[in-house]
Amino acid sequence: VSLTRREAIVLGAGALLAAGCGSARSTGAGSGSTLASTWSDPGGTGTLAAGPGEALVARTELGPVRATNGVIATLAHVTDAHVLDASSPARVPFLDRLGAPFESTFRPHETLTGQVLAGAARAIRAFGPDIVIQGGDLIDNDQQNELTWALAALRGGLVVPDRYYGVQLASDPDPFYYRPDLDAPQHPGLLSRASRPFRSAGVGVPVYPVLGDHDILVAGEIVPTAETRALAVGDEALWELPPGLSLPPGTSLTAGGSPDGPPLPGLVNGFLARALAGPKVRVPADPRRREMDVADAIGVLRAGASGSLDYAVDVGRDLRLIVLDLARRGGGSGGLVRPDQPGWLASQLAERGSPGADGGAGGEARWVIVVSHQPLASSEGGESLLSLLDAHPRVIAALSGHTHRNLIEPRAGYWLISTASLIDYPQQARALRVLRTRGGGVAIQTWMLDHAFRGDLGTISRQLAYLDAQGGRPKGFAGGRLDRNVTLYRTA
Amino acid sequence: MLVAALVVSDSLGFGFDRAARASDLPDIIVRFDPQSASRVAQRIAALPDVAADTVRTEVTDVGLETADEFAGDGSVEVVGQGRRGYAIVSGRDVTRPGQVVVERGLADAWHLSLGGALQIDGLGTERIVGFSESPDNVSYPLAVPRVYVSDRGTGPLAADLAEIWLRDPRNLNEVLVQARATSYGLQGLRFVTRSGVRVLLDQAAGIVIDLLVALSLIALATASVMLAASARAEVQRRLAAIGVRRAVGASRAHLAGTQAFEALFVAAPAATVGAIGGVLATYGPTTRLLTLLNEPAPGTALLPALAAAWVAAIAIPVLAAAWPAWRASGRPPVALLRGAELGASARRSTRLSAPRAGLTVLGARLVGARRTRLVATVAALGFSTAFVLLMLALASALSSLETDPQALGKHYQLTANLPASAVPRVRRIPGVQAVAPRYEEEAVDSYSLGETIDVIAYPGSHTVFEAPPLVSGTRLRGDGEAEVGLGLAQALGLSPGSTLAIQLESGRELRLRVAGVVSSLDHDGRVAYVPAATLLAADPSAAGDEHLAVVLRPGANVAAVSTALGSTSAPATGAIGRGVPLVAVLRSILRAVAIVDGLVCLYALIQACALTVQERRRTVSVLRAFGAGGAAVRRLLAGAVIALVVPAAVIGILLERLVLGPALSRLAASYVTLPLGASSSEIAAVLAGLVLAGATAVAWVARQTTRESVIEGMRAP
Repeated sequence: VSLTRREAIVLGAGALLAAGCGSARSTGAGSGSTLASTWSDPGGTGTLAAGPGEALVARTELGPVRATNGVIATLAHVTDAHVLDASSPARVPFLDRLGAPFESTFRPHETLTGQVLAGAARAIRAFGPDIVIQGGDLIDNDQQNELTWALAALRGGLVVPDRYYGVQLASDPDPFYYRPDLDAPQHPGLLSRASRPFRSAGVGVPVYPVLGDHDILVAGEIVPTAETRALAVGDEALWELPPGLSLPPGTSLTAGGSPDGPPLPGLVNGFLARALAGPKVRVPADPRRREMDVADAIGVLRAGASGSLDYAVDVGRDLRLIVLDLARRGGGSGGLVRPDQPGWLASQLAERGSPGADGGAGGEARWVIVVSHQPLASSEGGESLLSLLDAHPRVIAALSGHTHRNLIEPRAGYWLISTASLIDYPQQARALRVLRTRGGGVAIQTWMLDHAFRGDLGTISRQLAYLDAQGGRPKGFAGGRLDRNVTLYRTA
Repeated sequence: MLVAALVVSDSLGFGFDRAARASDLPDIIVRFDPQSASRVAQRIAALPDVAADTVRTEVTDVGLETADEFAGDGSVEVVGQGRRGYAIVSGRDVTRPGQVVVERGLADAWHLSLGGALQIDGLGTERIVGFSESPDNVSYPLAVPRVYVSDRGTGPLAADLAEIWLRDPRNLNEVLVQARATSYGLQGLRFVTRSGVRVLLDQAAGIVIDLLVALSLIALATASVMLAASARAEVQRRLAAIGVRRAVGASRAHLAGTQAFEALFVAAPAATVGAIGGVLATYGPTTRLLTLLNEPAPGTALLPALAAAWVAAIAIPVLAAAWPAWRASGRPPVALLRGAELGASARRSTRLSAPRAGLTVLGARLVGARRTRLVATVAALGFSTAFVLLMLALASALSSLETDPQALGKHYQLTANLPASAVPRVRRIPGVQAVAPRYEEEAVDSYSLGETIDVIAYPGSHTVFEAPPLVSGTRLRGDGEAEVGLGLAQALGLSPGSTLAIQLESGRELRLRVAGVVSSLDHDGRVAYVPAATLLAADPSAAGDEHLAVVLRPGANVAAVSTALGSTSAPATGAIGRGVPLVAVLRSILRAVAIVDGLVCLYALIQACALTVQERRRTVSVLRAFGAGGAAVRRLLAGAVIALVVPAAVIGILLERLVLGPALSRLAASYVTLPLGASSSEIAAVLAGLVLAGATAVAWVARQTTRESVIEGMRAP
């Protein structure tokens, strides 16, 4: 509360102190389950606070409500963690101010991605699923150090972030970047706190990875080149928008205006050339920032895998998980169905999802959940895969990430389920419990999990993500009530 | 006086807040170069905490015309749906093309009426449907004339103004940071918050209002002292009667109650008359001042405060009468009765005062015999004297601020709207001592985006052209340094050595080390002097506002130099830029308050003289019986007046110079030292006024006294 001079005069007060009301908010429930409690802003004032949970709501588009009689499997879907090296010279944060499609090149809370993933792992551990699906875009910029931190946070271990040296330092005079020491909401010392090592307990159960575009491409769009590799491990960073660099309204990053195709080489190269010719900042070089090849990334994500990350696994006796790798190798963030994938999927469905094929309970075939990073519906060639799923009676859900949005839609006999990211608001993972229902049907109980990092760093990240005018709040990434905590019924 | 002070302080002190509430003033006003309205609306929609917003077009430099008036610099705001940010004070809002709402200040100045016609260039003749008020700027003629028209039928227009209302204004800084982060591509971007609006208003009128409000507070205190002193003197006069009543068994409570009741009997009608008089004297001028500021008159909102003042005006004398009566009645009746008459020495002196000059001394001693009353009356007169001196000093200070650039530390006398390349040519003009380009830009603090900063830059040393007194630190010496005004230093917590971060209109941020803090009145002291090279490097567009500052040689012919500079030259301005009407209104208010105060002085003197004569009726009658005429009585009373006026004058002068002047300066503008010490001529004028008041009191009381027969006076108790 501040008092103007004139008010002070009138009230006869010579001087009144402005009383700042520092809030020491609770970090919320330790479990992270939004069934018990979740973060909300009922007044719409831009300030999140822990509030009541959201109960499960029945969705019956694919079948009536039926009593359940047993759990088939429990899963957690955590996607788009985008663990990133905010000090990396390979980043291009100055593009953020140009708006779409560069909004993801800088985020106010980007120094806290490791802590958020560790907080999500903690919430998942508290939930205790049978398996965890890591839905892709585990990292942000295809860097080796990012993957090291992310895997430690997710699987358990000591995460040792680098000392921060980037655009959010108080010494950087560029007002387009949020500087926590100076700008509102002020968090003095946040950058050094974010750089401190921390230990993550991990999810404590097997993790099944999905390949995302950011896991193998620079900024999720660009195939690493000699220039980008040199930039990543070098000692010169680009913090400032090169003079005269602009993006005319309506400019598309991809050919033909497609949001998902490979980026226009001319546009990317031109941007890069002009950026490199612009002002640069000297930063500490770090060889651990090496940009990985696809094979390297896949090999680290799933031991023994190479080439692609298409695979299938059983979860318990009655559920089969089929993972599809839609990441483009030639650049571009959108999903791409390779020519061989429809055949491979058809064979997996025929082999694993048919009655008696794999000793399913009671001679019934296993239920099938298909997982990809990009939604099948928006992927190039995705319709061919969807038509296969449409035709198969045991497919109950297709899980995806990439859009950073909570969304659940019925399609044919199964549910298309998209889970929000950990990088943008609402920074949630998804819990799924697959249940048998009377009459031979199935129900999926699903609810969101808020990350629950010990201390206040996770809460700060969530609040900053909420305020972000380019982030998930204005874009409605949290989804509607029916996209979050619901029970999805399906007949036999 | 109490009510007059209250009217002024309440009306002006809370005027902005009242206006902000009435007009639904937005929390953030954003101005930018013309943009697609939908693009701007999209960005606003992404901001947190936004309760409502409106995106509109403000067309400037539009010709407005009636049959009798014309202005070529009108501002036309094209409004659409949603919240307005202005209050309709008469008539109604625009609903369709062909209608116009006119700002009340303009309506008053041009004598416009509802239903009348206003010619707007580009739109044609519009019918006036309402008058508005909005405190986001001062009103015409302090600012450009402003009107509002409906956007229906005007076709697609690019927006250049957005107004944003927040759900929780405490999150203002968070919202501004997000707005800034998403503002890339919006040229000429300027955020103004409510506090920023207040600062903008203060540029035009703030110091005037602050001085008036501070003056009113001092008047309140002075009036209270005078009321109390007057009531106490009345009790003192009645000590003998109190002693008699006490002797016949009256209780202390009864005596105090009686005294209080009698005071009430006098104070209630007096307070009523005084309240009405105070309101009549000040409400009109104050309302005119508020209209200029686009702020509403308090109206009925003033009634509770007036009622409180009325009660106070009664309660103070009642308590001031009851308390001394209560205390006095605690003394033995004998002591009271003894104390009711002059002491023996005074009586001896009276008998010995035969010489003509001795009558004056006798008068002084008669007044001096009542020490408590003497002190109270001298105090009242002293406060009044100090107050009048303060008003004169204030008027001088305002006049100086209005007209004298030196008051701002400006050493240049002329400006010329010429490019830097014209410097050599201007330097050769006879009478020119120094000339340099001067750059001025309105910026905001990078971290508190609502805090506006007036950035001023010169190549080389600015002290040749502007040198506000240095309060702390040093003058700026390098490219990375700045001198900041004390107002800015106080607002942002800056001191020499700290970092000033300002966001320029170009969107770039400038980081400068604060070299020194200066005392400046410009822009409420929220100024920063920076090197021109630094400013231009960060914002080359600042060169677009380039003009030359010209310092003349002592004795140079200003008119001749101005003519040589051509039509682009203009005299340097004072702190109250276009404030001529404002100062005129202020003079009305000061005059009203001064008259009230003068009447108070006169009343105090007449009362003191009348009381003295009343108590000394027998003494005066004895003198008259021995042949003393009217002149002798006047000499006697003159002695009494001198005994009151001389110490009061000394006290008043000292009080004004040592206490009230500095206090007013501090209250009104903590960021600068205002010259509020009364000058010799002002002191002489006030002393003359006191002499005149004293002479009037002597003449009036002497006339009343000599009307009474000597015999009747001798019979007095």
